[in-house]
Amino acid sequence: MTPMRFEAEYGPVWDAFAEQLQQARQGKAVDGALLAVRYRRVCENLALAQSRAYPIHLVARLEAMAQEAHQLIYRRQDYGLGRLGRLLRVELPGAVRAQGRYVLLALLLFALPLAASFLLAWHGPDFALHLLDASQLRRYESMYADGKQALGRMRDADGDWYMFGFYIFNNIGIGFRCFGAGILAGVGSAFVVVYNGLLIGVVAGHLTRVGLGHNFWPFVATHSAFELTGVVLSGAAGLRVGLGWLAPGRMTRLEALRTAALAAVPLVYAAFFLLLVAAAFEAFWSPAAWIAAEVKYGVAALCWVLVPTWLLLLGRGGAHAS
Amino acid sequence: MAFLLDLLIRLGIDLGLALGLGAWGGLGSGLVLIGIFSVEWLYPIVFELRRGGATPGKRALGLRVVMDTGLPVTPAASFTRNLLRVADFLPLAYAFGIVAMLLNRECKRLGDLAAGTLVVHAAPVVLHDAPPPAAPLAPARALSAREQAAILSWAGRAKRLTPARFDELARLAAAALPPVQADEPRRDAAQRLLGVAQWLMGKRA
Repeated sequence: MTPMRFEAEYGPVWDAFAEQLQQARQGKAVDGALLAVRYRRVCENLALAQSRAYPIHLVARLEAMAQEAHQLIYRRQDYGLGRLGRLLRVELPGAVRAQGRYVLLALLLFALPLAASFLLAWHGPDFALHLLDASQLRRYESMYADGKQALGRMRDADGDWYMFGFYIFNNIGIGFRCFGAGILAGVGSAFVVVYNGLLIGVVAGHLTRVGLGHNFWPFVATHSAFELTGVVLSGAAGLRVGLGWLAPGRMTRLEALRTAALAAVPLVYAAFFLLLVAAAFEAFWSPAAWIAAEVKYGVAALCWVLVPTWLLLLGRGGAHAS
Repeated sequence: MAFLLDLLIRLGIDLGLALGLGAWGGLGSGLVLIGIFSVEWLYPIVFELRRGGATPGKRALGLRVVMDTGLPVTPAASFTRNLLRVADFLPLAYAFGIVAMLLNRECKRLGDLAAGTLVVHAAPVVLHDAPPPAAPLAPARALSAREQAAILSWAGRAKRLTPARFDELARLAAAALPPVQADEPRRDAAQRLLGVAQWLMGKRA
């Protein structure tokens, strides 16, 4: 068959296909089944044209159409609420369990410095001053001082909404950075996790020592369930990526990096979600001085049970649990 | 370049948010912070997952993000490549990203390496057109597939090559031309070779 006959025979299909693609590009609805049929025919024609060394303008035209249709047909579209629900109920907990070793590592990197610095700062005034200077400590003391309308704030004037925005901007940003820095052999994530562990431990220990624990603990008890888990998970995601290519096993390093990143992303989603919830609690619930400490502790206990339950138990039925 | 454009757009949105909502007190400034957060982290992800597969800056320059396989970019890949921007930025001014781009053939930064994505030009480069019209001329002998392809792609570049170069290339293929017949109108070698190209395309009279 000569190129001219080839074009004369199949040209109408190509034109119709190009028109359909044009409509799709403009955002109009197109008949998917018809598009798929024509797409297959165009791919077939493209393969023939290539193997028969037909003129390049012909091959290029078919290539361009096939490429555009490829992008259109294989685009992910299931961004609905159902998909989100399945992600939260099944996929995220499953992914966290699958990366259990890294989560445990991140947890240790976070909890050990936290416990150590808490005990040291609680024990005596020296240790806190090694990590923070006196003005910073005084600022923390004023945030949790007695007789304030809203706990944990620099000034009472900052509204709940402002703090909500601030916690999202700051805390989730830190979570994302913690993951991103993990590609440097995990050092970046480890640093963020250890540093935050130390800092939180020192502040908690110091405030307890100077007798402001009755303000501090009810404030942090609830949202820490989400926030600390979120920090640990984003650290685990970063470690997964960094250690993934550092110890690639039987893959090339590049392949290992890609696999690791794919495995780590669900952890980032989970951390994102947890930090979002934490920001809401930290902005609207935790600072409310009018809620009795007992109530806050009760809610906190519930949250501390819920989060591990979510991560450890939910979605165990695998594909059926939807 | 696309990055600079996006940076400008993002700054513009940030500024607009700050001016528009900043006056509303606590609620407004809270929303501004959420907006800045979204623009900083989610802006590229949201735009890359939409149909165009590109942020406005990339789209303006005809670029788009695809997977290594040519498929549209997946949510996981988009998250990865955009969150790893943090590492590309280190230690300052995207130094790691630039070094990574210089070290691999596809010019990918760390985020692209990890996500398995590729930034490509969306529109194909067109170098060839249909062969220009000419009276068909049967070649002197049966041509192999490679010879046919060579003559056809030469003819396809008629508009884009300088006439001198076009003729020069035509003379290389003179062996494929049949001897001039008595009744044939006078044409130079390039025109006769275009005739052969038309004959190969399937034109007979």
